[in-house]
Amino acid sequence: MSLDTTLLLVQMAFRNLFAARLKTLIVGSIVFAGALLVVLGTSLLESVNDGMNRSIVDSLAGNIQVYAAASKDKLEIFGNMAGFPDLAPVPDFPKVRDRLLSLPNVKAVVPMGINGAVVGSGNVLDNALERLRASVRSARRRPTPAIHAEITARKALVRRMAELLEKDLEAAASISSDKAEDAIMLANVHRATQPAFWSDFDADPYAKLEYLENKVAPNAAEADMLFVSYIGCDLEAFRKSFDRLEITDGTFVPAGKRGFLFAKFTYEEMFKVKIARRLDRIKEARETGGRRIATDPELKRFITDNLSQTHEILYQLDPLSAATVERALQRDLKEPGLRLEALLAKLLAVDDANFAERYRIFYADVVPAIDLYKVRIGDDLTIKAVTRSGYPQSVVVKVYGAFQFRGLEKSALAGSMSLIDLVSFNELSGFPTAASRAEIAGMQRAAGAKAVTREAAEAELFGGNGGVSPSGETPRVASTQLIVPDRLGGAAARRMASAFTPADLDRASVLNAAIILKDPRKMARTMREIRALSDREKLGLKVISWQTAAGLLGQFVLLMRIVLYVAVGIIFLVALIVLSNAFVMATLERVRDIGTLRAVGARREFIFAMIVVEAAVVGIIFGGAGAVAGGALVQVLGHYGIPATSDVMFFFFSGPRLRPFVRPVSVVLAAVLVLVINALSAGYPAWLAARVTPRQAMGAEE
Amino acid sequence: MNPIVSVHGLTKEYRLGNVTVPALRNVELDLQPGEFLAVAGPSGSGKTTLLNMIGCVDAPTAGTVEVDGQETTKLAERALTDLRLHKIGFIFQSFNLIGVLSVFQNVELPLLLQRVGPAAERRRRVCDLLDRVGIGVHAGQRPNELSGGQRQRVAIARALVTGPKLVLADEPTANLDSVNGQMILDLMKNLNKQEGTTFFFSTHDARVMANAEAVLRLADGAIVDRVAPADAGLPPAK
Repeated sequence: MSLDTTLLLVQMAFRNLFAARLKTLIVGSIVFAGALLVVLGTSLLESVNDGMNRSIVDSLAGNIQVYAAASKDKLEIFGNMAGFPDLAPVPDFPKVRDRLLSLPNVKAVVPMGINGAVVGSGNVLDNALERLRASVRSARRRPTPAIHAEITARKALVRRMAELLEKDLEAAASISSDKAEDAIMLANVHRATQPAFWSDFDADPYAKLEYLENKVAPNAAEADMLFVSYIGCDLEAFRKSFDRLEITDGTFVPAGKRGFLFAKFTYEEMFKVKIARRLDRIKEARETGGRRIATDPELKRFITDNLSQTHEILYQLDPLSAATVERALQRDLKEPGLRLEALLAKLLAVDDANFAERYRIFYADVVPAIDLYKVRIGDDLTIKAVTRSGYPQSVVVKVYGAFQFRGLEKSALAGSMSLIDLVSFNELSGFPTAASRAEIAGMQRAAGAKAVTREAAEAELFGGNGGVSPSGETPRVASTQLIVPDRLGGAAARRMASAFTPADLDRASVLNAAIILKDPRKMARTMREIRALSDREKLGLKVISWQTAAGLLGQFVLLMRIVLYVAVGIIFLVALIVLSNAFVMATLERVRDIGTLRAVGARREFIFAMIVVEAAVVGIIFGGAGAVAGGALVQVLGHYGIPATSDVMFFFFSGPRLRPFVRPVSVVLAAVLVLVINALSAGYPAWLAARVTPRQAMGAEE
Repeated sequence: MNPIVSVHGLTKEYRLGNVTVPALRNVELDLQPGEFLAVAGPSGSGKTTLLNMIGCVDAPTAGTVEVDGQETTKLAERALTDLRLHKIGFIFQSFNLIGVLSVFQNVELPLLLQRVGPAAERRRRVCDLLDRVGIGVHAGQRPNELSGGQRQRVAIARALVTGPKLVLADEPTANLDSVNGQMILDLMKNLNKQEGTTFFFSTHDARVMANAEAVLRLADGAIVDRVAPADAGLPPAK
């Protein structure tokens, strides 16, 4: 078809469409909406995908994860409903690492293991005892009346805590099955509540303190356990590879030391005093979310909760510090007559007008007197995990600090995993460590045991002949001495040497490894290379992308994509039907014109093209306008950002605001879809039109 | 000289449900180049059907139609289309101009379909013809801005722009008043004289027949006779 003919067709299409303006407008607006939705939807989706990509790739997963093919479960770094996956250690990790690093696109390989465990959230009783001990110590050195007053106040706090603990334990005992043990626990705690216990405290304070620390406080520890997910890794390698990591509190774990680093988000969310945390969240919601207490039910609920939980703070205050806080609050709230409880209630009954001021007063007057976090930086943390073979294991590690990833401060996803050194992780998972190997070797020596091969076992056991023992009795093997670690773990958790050697680290079992790429765009290719490498050198690796490694979370984007595409599909199905119908109608209305064209010598192709061009004009104009409008909308959204108004949105936006931008893929997709829809919708009417006979031009009047 | 159209044993039947309605019965007809011939007969006598058969717009039930030496019943649809494009011009009772195209574009259309180029060449031919049918000043207008007579003149220009050997016109004046009708006939006659184009048109109007060189009289699908226009009103000679 010549250019002139095409131009004529386009002109005819425009004129025909203009002649049926209303219909064109209706049909066009559907195409417009479809194109807009495609551009907007895919842009948002890709932005969320990018955000999640950043959250996951830059914080934990790297671009690719490898783990042992022999593993029972699939690797899911964020765990799943059933907990964390059961993975076999990667065989000979140092070799695997060296081989992986030989690939051109591999920047770093970070050995890790991922698990979750219960941690004793440290307990306020322990902390109170620590302070009491400090006072007692300084009273020994330089007794002053002030110190004695402090001791009295701190004793009073400990006693009150013991009383509260006793009540808790009584309540717990009523639903417990282990009556005998409960009775012992209760008796221990009960003693610490009696006047007799305290009346002669000063006679031998250290003995009393020891009793309180060993017999009373551990019972309280059980009361407040928190579940923490952590990555066991070569901390140094992790820090180098995930370079957005920054320390917010404390310090990084020194090289070669065992240690624990809290993810800042987890630390704030789970370990901070709840009242303080809620105040922080109100502040954040007001400042970045633009929300108001007066109109926001969630913020109102925070305030109600704070008001009903002031004991969380009161419980921590001994009489002396209580008096200090009371004075400060009386001054700052200008309520000289009110007592502490009433002052706290007033302080926490915030509204939009006074929030900023109250927030400041809380942090200035109350916080210095309390432990703001249940576990303080520098504390020892008791982690209780279930090992791979199913027995509970405890490890005590020092908390060196808290960290976050730059740019992902608000991402719950990136902030969900704390860090622990790989050696402690091995210990927690029940893998043999250097220490336990030495212990076993020592036991073997002591017992005179030696390594025996399977083939030689019978001979070794029964003597050279390997026959049935002459007496005909079944030889009795000495009852197996199972080495069962302390059942409860907690109280007697082994405090391992606080340092380890590079050799220990190399020997440590590695469950999975994050691979960071020089060029993430070549991920698929590098994955193929790693698989080939693993096959060739029998490394026994399974290779998965970060999306797969993220498990359900990684699938989330896929799910959203499906939802979006279904929505787009429905819109376009509707568009298809409406468009097709409109063009069929247009064809029927123009039968005489078409017949005339055929009579004067237009071929069927010409007629077919006439309808298709008309549909294409609708598609290009309205689809183009829709795509441009969608793009503009995305630009506007990108400029202002879509605020994340809930935790869930924070999570998917990987930050306080989602700033979407238009990607070529969105535009291409919109264009392709519009064209396909046009082709499909115009196809039938065009076919119909091409079948109009010239005789139909002679038309109606006959 | 070979006839431009040669029809032998042409029969056309339409099926209406179970009933077969004969529209043409065993028609024999030759049209000579340059003839200006009318076909007359009452409604339903088969005038339009005969024109459709000759114009390759419809296929006969039996018999053959030769147009310019080509046996049309043996041609494929596409070849028939090309035959219409190159050899035949159509003038319709209701003008059948394309409403969304200008007068100029309506006339230019067959040239575009014939891939006549360049645009200047087309423009020259279209404008020339529009001037000759006296409608040059309306070239930029849409058909609905014109009167019936003007529209039919545009249709004539469209039929003749490709220089066809044969123009078929089905009741070209039926929708026009007598003055305009006569004007159209005069125009057709002039072009017939100047170009030597064969005109074959149907009518049932005696005044229209009077312009023809001869009138074929059709009744019940069969040609009754061929008479001089003056005798068209007489009863057929048995």
